[in-house]
This record gives sequence, structure tokens and C-alpha cells, in this order.
Amino acid sequence: MPAGDAFTERQQDDVVRAIRLARKQSDLPVSVYVGALDGDTRAMALQLHRALGDAADGTVLVAVDPGARRLEIVTGNEIRRRLDDRAAGLAAMTMTSAFQGGDLSGGIANGVLALAEFAHAPRSLHTGAP
Amino acid sequence: MLVATLALLALPAGAAFATQPTNQIDDGDQPGAGLSVLETLGIFVGIPALLYIVIVLLVNAGSSSRGPRYRPGAGWWAAPVWFNGPDDADRAVRDAEGSTSQGGGASARW
Repeated sequence: MPAGDAFTERQQDDVVRAIRLARKQSDLPVSVYVGALDGDTRAMALQLHRALGDAADGTVLVAVDPGARRLEIVTGNEIRRRLDDRAAGLAAMTMTSAFQGGDLSGGIANGVLALAEFAHAPRSLHTGAP
Repeated sequence: MLVATLALLALPAGAAFATQPTNQIDDGDQPGAGLSVLETLGIFVGIPALLYIVIVLLVNAGSSSRGPRYRPGAGWWAAPVWFNGPDDADRAVRDAEGSTSQGGGASARW
């Protein structure tokens, strides 16, 4: 792929729409990074997650390195209670199988939607009481 | 390919012209004027060639409008994109250097 924009406008819209849908349907804030993860990919993904600042604990970071063919999903401490590592692994498989076929934006969009599907609704207190 | 097509076209045409008696007409035959060379070429070469070009254009139009395709293993040189990331990504990443999240998640490769 030549240097330039990673996605066309339509592909970008797909990803943005999936992120918006995840937030709306499951109240799950997702951040998606597509680019090089130099060095230790996991450590780099964790650093990017930290860079989200105050929102980090409540945010899922999906970091994709298309060049090195690595995918990292980082769930914040708070979100981890709703989205366990097994669910994150399943979403990661959804994404990588699309990436293998060359569909980067579609894989990301489907993966974000899968994350939203797996994330349980946040436990709300006192609403079950009569 | 074009030369071969022309040769194939010319061969039976020449043979037919050579063997057909000129003034033997069956009952009910109403032969019109014969096709000129240009008309023959237009119908049997021009129209197929045009169709070929149109179909090729239609096939390629879909993929070129979708933009360049990601090919696993072919490398990646596009600038990083961060959806729903921090406002000042460069600074945020620099500030976060050294400290990492404790979160869980998953890793995968393809």
C-alpha cells in the first residue's frame, strides 16, 4: 500500500459508525488506533491506552499494526469487569480473520461491534428494588 | 490477438466469395448489398472490442472507487490514525511514556 491515508472516507465512516454504535448500544467507549506499534507491541498498546488520560479506565483501546500484523486490545480496569479477556479474545479473532482477507476497516468495524455485543450492560444499582 | 482475429475473419469470407456462384439465387432470396470490409470489421471486431473495453472498465470501476486495498504482508506506510483518541495524541503519548495501564484485554496476530 502506498504512503498516504490509511482509509478512504467511506472506510473511515464505517469505523466511526461502529464506534458510535458501541457507545450508544452498550455504553462502551472504544478507541481505535491504526498504525505502527514499535518495539514491544503490548507495552506500546498499554502506553497508548494510558495516553487516553482520565478516560483510560473506562475505555477499550483497539490497537492495530497492519505492517507487523499485530492486534492488541486493552481494556481499562473499570471496563474489564464488563468485558473479560475471553470476550476480548473472541473479538480479536473476529478482527484478525477479516484482516487476513485484506479487509482492514471492515474487520475493525465488526470487531468493535463484537466488543459492544460482549460487553454486558453496566450494572446499575438500586433499579431492581421495588 | 487482433491479427489472429482478422485472419480468421478473412479466411472463410474469402473462401465463401471464391466458391459462391455469382448469379445463382434460390427462390425467395432477396440478397441485399454485401457488407464492405469496413462494415464487416466494425460489426465483428469493433463491437466486440468495444464491449470488452466497457466490461473491463465496469469491473475496475468498483475496486478503484473503493480505494487501495490492504494486503497482509505487503507492509504499511500510511500515517497513524486514532479514532476517538486524545485531542493532542503526540503529547498524550509522550506524557504517558514509562507508565502503562494495568488493564486486561487480548493480543492476536495474523
